[in-house]
Amino acid sequence: MSTVTLSVPERRRSLTGWVFLLPAALLIAWMSFWPMIQAFVLSLKTGRGTRLELADPWWYNYQRLFDDAIFHTTLVNTAIYLVVQVPLMLLLALILATLLNDPKLRLRGLWRTAIFLPCAVSLVSYSLVFRTLFSTDGMVNDALKGLGLIDHPVNWLGQPGTARFVIILGLLWRWTGYNMVFYLAALQNVEPTTFEAARIDGAGPVKTFLFVTVPQLKPMILLTAIMSTNGTLQLFDESYNLTQGGPAYSSMSMAHYLYETSFHKNPNFGYAAALSYAILLMVAVLAAVQMKVGDRRD
Amino acid sequence: MSATKRTIRAWLAAAAVVPLVASLAACSGSGHAGTGASGGGSGSNTLTVWAWDPNFNIYAMNEAAKIYQKDHPDFQLKVVETPWDDLQTKLTTLAQSQQADKLPDIFLVQNNAFQKNVINYPDLFSDFKGSQVDFSKFPQSVVDYSKVDGVNYGMPFDNGTAITALRTDVLQQAGYTVKDFTDISWSRFLELGKDVLAKTGKPLLSGQAGSSDLITMMLQSAGASLFDKDGKPTITDNAALLAAIDMYQKLVKAGVLVEVNSWDEYIGSFVNQNVAGTINGVWIVGSIQSAADQSGKWAITNLPKLDGVPGATNYSANGGSSWAISAHANRDLAIDFLNSTFAGSTQFYDTILPKSGALANWTPAGDSKVYAEPQPFFGGDAIFQKVVGYSTKVPSNNTGAYYYEGRDAVSAAITKIMSGTDPATALKEAQQTVEFAMK
Repeated sequence: MSTVTLSVPERRRSLTGWVFLLPAALLIAWMSFWPMIQAFVLSLKTGRGTRLELADPWWYNYQRLFDDAIFHTTLVNTAIYLVVQVPLMLLLALILATLLNDPKLRLRGLWRTAIFLPCAVSLVSYSLVFRTLFSTDGMVNDALKGLGLIDHPVNWLGQPGTARFVIILGLLWRWTGYNMVFYLAALQNVEPTTFEAARIDGAGPVKTFLFVTVPQLKPMILLTAIMSTNGTLQLFDESYNLTQGGPAYSSMSMAHYLYETSFHKNPNFGYAAALSYAILLMVAVLAAVQMKVGDRRD
Repeated sequence: MSATKRTIRAWLAAAAVVPLVASLAACSGSGHAGTGASGGGSGSNTLTVWAWDPNFNIYAMNEAAKIYQKDHPDFQLKVVETPWDDLQTKLTTLAQSQQADKLPDIFLVQNNAFQKNVINYPDLFSDFKGSQVDFSKFPQSVVDYSKVDGVNYGMPFDNGTAITALRTDVLQQAGYTVKDFTDISWSRFLELGKDVLAKTGKPLLSGQAGSSDLITMMLQSAGASLFDKDGKPTITDNAALLAAIDMYQKLVKAGVLVEVNSWDEYIGSFVNQNVAGTINGVWIVGSIQSAADQSGKWAITNLPKLDGVPGATNYSANGGSSWAISAHANRDLAIDFLNSTFAGSTQFYDTILPKSGALANWTPAGDSKVYAEPQPFFGGDAIFQKVVGYSTKVPSNNTGAYYYEGRDAVSAAITKIMSGTDPATALKEAQQTVEFAMK
């Protein structure tokens, strides 16, 4: 739609459209983009408290990221959460959605609600419940001991490996149902005849799932993948409430570290802003890669 | 299009736009209106306060107001409950956005975070320079937390003096009394602890894994810290720290100290009688007394001292907090109020002690009758007088702006040491972490 001369009513309509867009656009620019610019300027500054000056060299805070051992630990932690949890969760959500889409399934509404319900729980309260469940004298240890699977209680939150495992488990519990709903919605737009055709062609449930369901859900899978990646990179509540980042930073997420540098420790807002831009860059790059991969038409 | 339809549309459009405009106006207007929690106005007789814990700090504040109101009938106090994590976040945000006038007149600050905030945001605080407050009536170590460059910025309140609390009935089973645990060294404590464990099956201590509370208490008991006088980290080649970590390892290995994961578990360990004692700030007696069935079975004494460390004592502290006055406050009124209550009224401290267990840092309060009253829960011992006595003997230690960095780095080091890393290596890493943070 390049320079086409519009008729008067058309021009008026387009103008009306712009007028309606304007307030929201201005608000976003003022409340989102302007702070982002300010944060970027802040990320170039260094100093104590409010007495900040432009860093010398100006990329000092970004260079600092490369020497920061704790940041590297949190980066690795977040990467582990991303690589293990996101694919697992999306796969589970896909399978659940396919199962619950079966029109012959009884109590469909109940199952759907039950699986979606964790999503309605506040991040903080579910984190605290998980912390209680997995404490040394918690229910999980009691159950495992009762079943005779372990002799001594496992120190779930006190060891790096198991602490990360508990966080991943928590994320799976909290978010699988959420993604399932997206797939369920998308499945409503899939022609039932395609499934029928697959059945007539002799495809089993696995083949139908892989070659009929998944390809037709591709746009939705892309969307959920980007949203989940974005969410995981900004993971905060679970790290803060469930494990407090411990033991020894081994389960701390990047966003949690960002919070620590701003409020818990000696405030270093310039560096914290640089950290947030590093996270933004990662989200943007990953989203771009996913869009490129997901959008490939074959 | 009929006229009525058009009017309806106009109204709908207006209805859609008005809230937007109103919210915009509200956003930009709030900068001047000052409808927030701030009082700040000079000349008025009202002070606003931010503090946490309704049964403790807030209760004490309100009682202080009642006492002050006797001589100043116009005086009003408004306390807004603000948990410490929120308070610190608000403080930092207001400072960073240069809206210090939104702060209340008085706010409570954790002792360990006091210097950090004053050093970073001096514009937020009013100092006590030239005031009538006699800081010599508070223990030196407590006043030092809120002192920066020789200037006082805080009025000490919540007492964090460390105590050893022990179950006398368990000790008795093993053939000991609390006297055997008084004025002893850590190596003797370990020896006794092993014996008690062998005879009764109960460890004497518990603590949160990866927490450096006990280590920092040991450090302060020797007047040592993670930082030197100039604020440089001294985590490597720190004899007191090495001795403290070595003792911690021995305690855990012997089973005299059991590590748990969360604060609730820690409290549970002695409330549920799995552990026969604890070492912490005196405020822990609140949790100990929550188990009413154990009344009369507890006793308190001083801390063991580190072996072979120069300057080691049997006294230390953990936590505690002090009142700060904001820069835009009605400074004269705030100082006068604090000075005539928290730093000048035994009646005030006598009122709050029995109800809330809020123990004074103000030394003269320890001489009052209420403090000398025997406490049946602790075998009839006058523990409050005892602890005020301890508090005067606690060595000062340096917190500085990077206290939390130091503490967290040492916590991480302890976790690594407990899983097998050599202490010197782990502490060197911790030193590097703190040095990096300070760059």
